[in-house]
Amino acid sequence: MEYLNEWTEVAQIGHALVALAFSAAAVATVAFARKWSQLGKWAFWTHSASLMAIIALIFVLFASHRYEFQYIWKHLNNQMPMRFILSAFWGGQEGGFLLWMFWNTVLAAVVLLAKDSVWKMPVMAWLSGIALFLTSMLLGVYFGDFMLGMDPFLLLREAPENLGLPWTQRSDYLTAFPLFQDGKGLNPLLQNYWMTIHPPTLFLGFAATTVPFAYAMAGLRRREDRSWMKPALRWSFFGVGILGTGILMGGAWAYEALSFGGFWAWDPVENASLVPWLTLVAAAHLLLINRNRKEPTALFSTYYLPIITYLLVVYSTFLTKSGILGDTSVHSFVDSGILPQLLAFLLTYTALAHGALLPGIRGYFGVVGLWAIAVVVMLKGYAAEGVLLGLALSTAAGWWAFRNGFEKRKEEDSLASREFWMFAGSLLLVVAALHITFQTSIPVLNKFLAPFSDMFARLGEQWNSEVFRRLAAHDFAPGTDMDATYHRVQIPLAFLITFFMAVAQWLPYRGKGVTWGGLFKKLRVSLVATLIVGLLLVVIYGWNRMSIPLLLLLMSTAFAVFANAHYLVAFLRGKWDAMGPSIAHVGFGMLLFGAVLSTSQKDIISQNQIGDIRSLSEELDNREDLLMLQGDTLPMGPYFVQFARKYTEGIHVKFDMVYFEKEEKRYRQGDVVFFDGMMFEALEDHVASHRFEEDLEALWRFIPMPNKRQADAAQIWVSGVAGKPLFTLSPRIQLNEQMGNAPEPDTRHGVFRDLYTHIKWGRVTPLETDEEGWLGGRSSSMAVGDSMLIGTTLLTFDSLRAIPMEERPDRGLLDGDLALAACITLDGKRGTSTHQPLYIVRDSLIIPDLYEAEDWGLKFRIDKFDPQLGQLDWTIWEHESVKQDFVVMQAAIFPMINVLWLGCILMAVGTFMAVRSRWKRDRRAAG
Amino acid sequence: MKRSHIILLLLIAACVATVISTFSSSSRSVGFSVAQADPGEEFKVSGTLVREEPVIYDPESNPNLTVFFMQDREGVIRRVELLQPKPTGLENSESVDVYGRFEGETFHATEMLMKCPSKYNEHNHVMMDSTAAEV
Repeated sequence: MEYLNEWTEVAQIGHALVALAFSAAAVATVAFARKWSQLGKWAFWTHSASLMAIIALIFVLFASHRYEFQYIWKHLNNQMPMRFILSAFWGGQEGGFLLWMFWNTVLAAVVLLAKDSVWKMPVMAWLSGIALFLTSMLLGVYFGDFMLGMDPFLLLREAPENLGLPWTQRSDYLTAFPLFQDGKGLNPLLQNYWMTIHPPTLFLGFAATTVPFAYAMAGLRRREDRSWMKPALRWSFFGVGILGTGILMGGAWAYEALSFGGFWAWDPVENASLVPWLTLVAAAHLLLINRNRKEPTALFSTYYLPIITYLLVVYSTFLTKSGILGDTSVHSFVDSGILPQLLAFLLTYTALAHGALLPGIRGYFGVVGLWAIAVVVMLKGYAAEGVLLGLALSTAAGWWAFRNGFEKRKEEDSLASREFWMFAGSLLLVVAALHITFQTSIPVLNKFLAPFSDMFARLGEQWNSEVFRRLAAHDFAPGTDMDATYHRVQIPLAFLITFFMAVAQWLPYRGKGVTWGGLFKKLRVSLVATLIVGLLLVVIYGWNRMSIPLLLLLMSTAFAVFANAHYLVAFLRGKWDAMGPSIAHVGFGMLLFGAVLSTSQKDIISQNQIGDIRSLSEELDNREDLLMLQGDTLPMGPYFVQFARKYTEGIHVKFDMVYFEKEEKRYRQGDVVFFDGMMFEALEDHVASHRFEEDLEALWRFIPMPNKRQADAAQIWVSGVAGKPLFTLSPRIQLNEQMGNAPEPDTRHGVFRDLYTHIKWGRVTPLETDEEGWLGGRSSSMAVGDSMLIGTTLLTFDSLRAIPMEERPDRGLLDGDLALAACITLDGKRGTSTHQPLYIVRDSLIIPDLYEAEDWGLKFRIDKFDPQLGQLDWTIWEHESVKQDFVVMQAAIFPMINVLWLGCILMAVGTFMAVRSRWKRDRRAAG
Repeated sequence: MKRSHIILLLLIAACVATVISTFSSSSRSVGFSVAQADPGEEFKVSGTLVREEPVIYDPESNPNLTVFFMQDREGVIRRVELLQPKPTGLENSESVDVYGRFEGETFHATEMLMKCPSKYNEHNHVMMDSTAAEV
């Protein structure tokens, strides 16, 4: 059957291109491995050309809105502006792989076009192998239930979930159903410029890790020749710069546009990109130590770290794309059936890498063979056991290589050498990476524990051990307390790393002629500056907001900044080629300082500061989010804030929050105020501070039994009065029917601090009312003396009285009725008035009596009266005319966050300066 | 003993400390029945929102309280009080994870993670029945 208007042939061309790219990559891998240089080149360029054609074709499909293609239908719709076409392209897994492949090919082309060296062929072989694996992710071939790759050219009617549906049998399905004239569209959260720049940077960073990996793997086969380290070093630092920038872009995105309430949340997906960066930094520093040395040190680690970095990149792809993280991550992909293939990708490279650690072809095949046994175990249905067996074999191979695989030096580096400190710092980076990996991998660890559940259970019985019982249950979940899970380990590590970073630069290689006293003298200036910073921090933030570990970390990061900046000024002024590393170190120190300070001193100012009657009964109130009625002006930290207006702009509902200057509020002796439902009297004249608690002890006296005069004079305590308006922030809610509305914050950027506002809840749909404009009623119980707020109106239940006989006829009551009136006072913007809704029982039946308080827009009905408790149950309706709009908002101050961003920029700039000068130097040395 | 041995030992110690720290700071992912048997202890419970029951969020009486019913993976249904404003997309969520502890019959959640079908759009199927095809 021919389908009308369907680009059936284009899909076939697409499939052919994928097949061509795949086979060309296979040919290139074999050809480069066998050093058939011409064939390899041809195959590689064929692969590259077909890959570019695939990408171009998908762009054509996007641009021409071909919704018969599943990938287009999922990620595009008619409303989406074309400037988001790039975001849409890599919005799905297929596009993500294509992006990675694109960069992999570009970098491989750079390697291929560079001057010839002994390393070119083996490096190209490894890079082509990776291209082969990545292309297999796009094949879309099924072997029974096993899916090999996800086809980007899959037609919607061929998707497994649609196969056999009646509409797929109609040749005119594209025109017959409106469904196919518009797509689902890209998640609106991804429709912004961050989504345009963040993924390509991150994937370029990921791709950059493959080159040092390829060099290290090539180097393992010719261990006597260490000349691979120079190009690998350049590529490593290139990767450090790009991947670091990519990670921080993700942080900036989260901070600016998402509702995380910060820029880093230790989310598994964030961690998955941070971990390879940490090990790549360590790898680059070890390469730096060994590239020129005749007597190398820590050779095993120098080979192993670039390799493990790449394996971690593949592992992070596995974690985030396989769906195994399931529900521990906010933004990982859901399971799409690609898990087995990703696992195979990961295990293959783990096997190859650890096999290569053993010298000679025999050890190599030995390990690969044992891995094959492990795979057979897995295929027999014991997946976790098989993977564990494979990992155990790899560890054994690694251990053997560590002990015997590389030449060892007899004498060790001096403690005062730069090498030693760089090495120690790198190891600490690895430990930090290990800890984060472990935390992130908890769902995976549970899977490894599962097969041993019975054994652990028995051990738990035998030894009555809680530990074994927990292991047997294998129900570990990541903790939610970030201090306990991450900070407790990461803070001491970061302290040591930054301290080493500060000192190492001041030590010469080999540690010749260094005395500790001399070193101390050189670092004296930086140490003094650090102490001043520490003192300032304590003075500004005080001990109640600063802990000793935190202060030590902030000081050691400051020390790293000062020591490196000092070195820069003292020795490298004007020497542009040598400045890169120091600038990068200053940047990294500032980045950490800004990150730690702005996170730990984040001040949520939207806390309830007034004695609000609503908070009386809420023991469990989290108090970080504040309800604001439209038009109300509330004190918030150093400001007053008003929810001024709400309006719709495109797909956003915006909420204008006007910030006012806060002017001081003076209280005189004898003034009476409410706070938290209690009354206080001022002991002397004073100016209110930001929080009542700060004034309470010295300046206020609690009044346990207020008299009438006091009660009448009492006003709610305020920390200040609103002055002139300063600025307006417009946090917004993005409307999206398909995927749920999403809030987006708005931030005012200052030099020293940012003010972040965020709508936690706001009304974006009209109120639901009946024909007369009444809202759905709310039930509540009250006893005499209770009060409650309805909107802005304060209702007080004053007393209860029986209706005397003489009043009954007027109210339409019969003599035999039991009739009670609830005397209530309404107090609000319309003044004060009293009302008496009725409770009527006639012939032991409750006669519902609706009472409307006109002008107030309120309606009452007493449903039940409990004479024992003196309690009324009633339903209260509000009229839409009196209903004020409101939002639930959060506002926070992030201090010194600009230090973080400035640090990011310096780090990236410094890293690229270092790469450039290294590249220049190596070229000069070669030519 | 050589310095490299000391470094190796320290490294191994650091790894062991990392493992212990990870497990000691972890919480447990359980069903409602286990969590309820051990009130006061913090747990993670995964499940789905019970759509037949209303999600109650009344910001005017408490902006930081959302009440809903949730069914865990073993099929047990409990009332959950989340001490936060109602997260957008709760009604559309595919699965819900809550972190918190039991008090009586109610699970008090301090934190919640949702899996929405929207995330990265990977789970949208074309839903059409035979009647639609006859249009």
